[in-house]
Amino acid sequence: MPESLTLLIAPFVVLNAVIGIVTYVTLLERKFAARMQSRIGPYRVGPHGLLQPIADALKLMMKEDIVPAAADRPVYNLAPIVFLLPCMFIFATIPFAPGLGVADLNIGILFFFAISGMEIVGLFMAGWGSNNKYALLSAMRAVNQVISYDLPFIFAALTPVLLAGSLRLSDIAAAQDGLWFVFYPVIGQLAFIAFVLSTVAAENRAPFDILEAESELVAGFRVEYSGMKFALIQLGEYAHILGSSFLGALLFLGAWSGPGPEWLGPGWFLLKAMFMFLLVTWIRWSFVRIRVDQILALSWKALLPATLLLLLATAVVVVWRANGGA
Amino acid sequence: MTTASPARLEVDYAGSERLTMNMGPQHPSAHGVFRAVLTLEGETVVGVDAVIGYLHRCHEKLAETLTYAQYPSIASKTDYVAAMTSEFAYVRAAETIGKIEVPKRAQYLRVMAAELQRVASHLLWLGTWCMDMGGALGGGATIFLYCIRERELILDLFESLVGARLLYGFYQVGGVRYDLPAGWTATCRETVDLIDRRIGEYESMLDDNPFFMARCQGVGVISRELAEDVGISGPLLRGSGVAWDLRRADPYSSYEDFQFLVPVESSGDCFARYGVRMVEFRESLKIVRQVLDGLPEGPVSSRPGLKSVAQTRIPKGEAYARIEGPRGEVGCYLTADGSAKPYRMKWRGASFSNLSVLPHIIPGHKVADVVAIMGSVDPVFGEVDR
Amino acid sequence: MAAPEVQTVADVRALRDARRTEGTEVSVIVRAVLGAMRMTLRNLFRKPVTVHYPDKTRVYPDRYRGLLALVYEKDTGEEACIGCRLCEYVCPPAVIKVEMLKTEKRNYAKTFTLELYACEFCELCVQVCPTDAIVMMKSFDLATADRRELLLDKDRLHAIGLQHERSWATGNRLRDMQGPPKQARTVAEHTPGAAPAAKESSEA
Repeated sequence: MPESLTLLIAPFVVLNAVIGIVTYVTLLERKFAARMQSRIGPYRVGPHGLLQPIADALKLMMKEDIVPAAADRPVYNLAPIVFLLPCMFIFATIPFAPGLGVADLNIGILFFFAISGMEIVGLFMAGWGSNNKYALLSAMRAVNQVISYDLPFIFAALTPVLLAGSLRLSDIAAAQDGLWFVFYPVIGQLAFIAFVLSTVAAENRAPFDILEAESELVAGFRVEYSGMKFALIQLGEYAHILGSSFLGALLFLGAWSGPGPEWLGPGWFLLKAMFMFLLVTWIRWSFVRIRVDQILALSWKALLPATLLLLLATAVVVVWRANGGA
Repeated sequence: MTTASPARLEVDYAGSERLTMNMGPQHPSAHGVFRAVLTLEGETVVGVDAVIGYLHRCHEKLAETLTYAQYPSIASKTDYVAAMTSEFAYVRAAETIGKIEVPKRAQYLRVMAAELQRVASHLLWLGTWCMDMGGALGGGATIFLYCIRERELILDLFESLVGARLLYGFYQVGGVRYDLPAGWTATCRETVDLIDRRIGEYESMLDDNPFFMARCQGVGVISRELAEDVGISGPLLRGSGVAWDLRRADPYSSYEDFQFLVPVESSGDCFARYGVRMVEFRESLKIVRQVLDGLPEGPVSSRPGLKSVAQTRIPKGEAYARIEGPRGEVGCYLTADGSAKPYRMKWRGASFSNLSVLPHIIPGHKVADVVAIMGSVDPVFGEVDR
Repeated sequence: MAAPEVQTVADVRALRDARRTEGTEVSVIVRAVLGAMRMTLRNLFRKPVTVHYPDKTRVYPDRYRGLLALVYEKDTGEEACIGCRLCEYVCPPAVIKVEMLKTEKRNYAKTFTLELYACEFCELCVQVCPTDAIVMMKSFDLATADRRELLLDKDRLHAIGLQHERSWATGNRLRDMQGPPKQARTVAEHTPGAAPAAKESSEA
């Protein structure tokens, strides 16, 4: 198959797959959360609610697009797109099987970090363009929070990078052939916990979702969005969570390695990513949220020093092992 | 320099411009219709103006037009979350004026209903408070649904006893209106045991939970002096170190026959009040078990069944009867004039007096704490506005 | 009033500390966080409490206060209501309006309207009725799009009485529950189909 055609088909397939999975991941979350709360989730729309995401998508598409009169139009209209694009790009460097990915860059993970940092711009544009006091307040808090937690996120994710010795994501996945990094004594588990915590916080999920606290800032920076723009923002958020879940599965849970034949690899990968996602969801639905100053204190005073130390310790271990340690 | 005016207490805060924010009568952390006009400096609240009256339905005037037989069915609408205790205050006041004796079985049934209602009310409190703090899409909703699931069990008990789930009409002047149906005691015991276990689950979810404690420790501290100055009652008072419970201090309706502890905490913050209410859960369940074990036989009312609307006439007199409701002291002051309708009824709603503490404790906290404090004060606006 | 000798005031903090197991601060935090997550996981595997209404309805208790209805006398098949208007007087929101029709043999209700949209379902009318004519049903299904359908007239009330299952509570049964000592009988005797389990009233 000519190179150019692959270059066109692969992103197309991945993009559609991501959007499809994201819509059904919302249903998975709703059912999972419902079962944890002694109720059933969507049930009536389609058998056991399987058509619910489609109904929601149709509804959002048909909704009236209300733009606030005093909103900054270019900023307001562009914000969902600027927010969504980075959330989609993060899937570019993730290999779904050895050799099966959109672009297996040799700085794969760096690309992930860099691009996922761009969505803060979209977030702030949404808060600013809405011309709404509370949206702006929430956007400022969100920028604060996401930046504070991106650092521990990067450091926690760098631990597997050090252990594997490469920034290329497929190399990291391949290096887990014998032992998944989450099972690496002490360092692996601590890095995993730090990764999960930072993921939860960087994506504004409970218990760190003060910026969407319904009691004061209903829906936060998205409050003025309705219809398809809101759908894009939701899509972006869940795509980001999914992307982080995939990344976590790749960095810590061995990506596509699993019993069975080779072609089952992507299936295992998906399963592990779903496990990560359900872990984040489980945390979300178990805890009350904490205040924004407490969230920031947790990041700067606890998580960042801890992950820095962990990175240092990992480096020491790697060097010690490389020099022929027992 | 602190300026204090009757309606507003402001903390002097050397910040920039002040912002007035309205936590309007409709807000998602709804405890009813309550309007708080907050004055903010940055994120810190410096002043609170509480505006109430959105749920005023003229209960006190209504009581003058309804007879003693009719009003108990309506009394539940004041504190609708703890409907049984609301009716209790009214009938006790009427019985005190008319010197009407209540048979022992009726007294025990009243106690049981009141204590079950206390458990149900605290379950609702816990659920809504966690939901305010945790969000409807998050851990708060989880605890809310667990609490509602348990509350439904108690409401099912009431439903098989009385026929209704929220507005009971269980109490009447002279006793209670319904006797226990067959098999009710067994179901009640099972339910009480189940709820006891589930409360253990809530405690394990919340007691040492760092997120929860970060939200409520040190927040909304009511000092002991303030608690004794301002007219608060109930768990607010007991969370600030004052060991005052009407069931012990001024026992009514055979409460002296039962053994139960009155929980007291000294730190006065939201976490203390949470602890007090969690212990009250267990103590109420203990009382219910004691009632079931020792329920005497006999009539359930010293007055015959309702044959006409003006059947109960209370001679001239006045009395103030108070009971320990889940939110504090619920009182009913009745003036009777010898006819079948009271001349005047004054309702002391526990939440109305409890709200008076808000301007003292909210200033100085962040906006997010306002929600936590409101939840731990646990107002029900049916009682506040009547 | 006799005060029991047991300790009546409890220190909440002491109770909680007695319950808590030992450990460093970090281990306590970790254990609490994991404990909360374990609780939600446990509930994940419990059966949901949802009742799939309207496919399945839950069992209504015997005394359920549902829709109101007028009934016919069991033996003669005639209308039980004698138009005495006691229910009209006792109703707190005054939703019942009755007109009496006098004949030689007995009285009837000429018209009987009940405004269900304002009814509080307090059961006082049921309790006061001398002939057990007005009762409540074990059903509340009367949601309509038109408020006028909730203004029930006599025919409608009789139709509802034939349509649904009746609640246990009728005027005489409710009044019998509350009589002075010599009238009190065990409630079990009134419950249809239940064996009399409670002891007789001790005061005759």
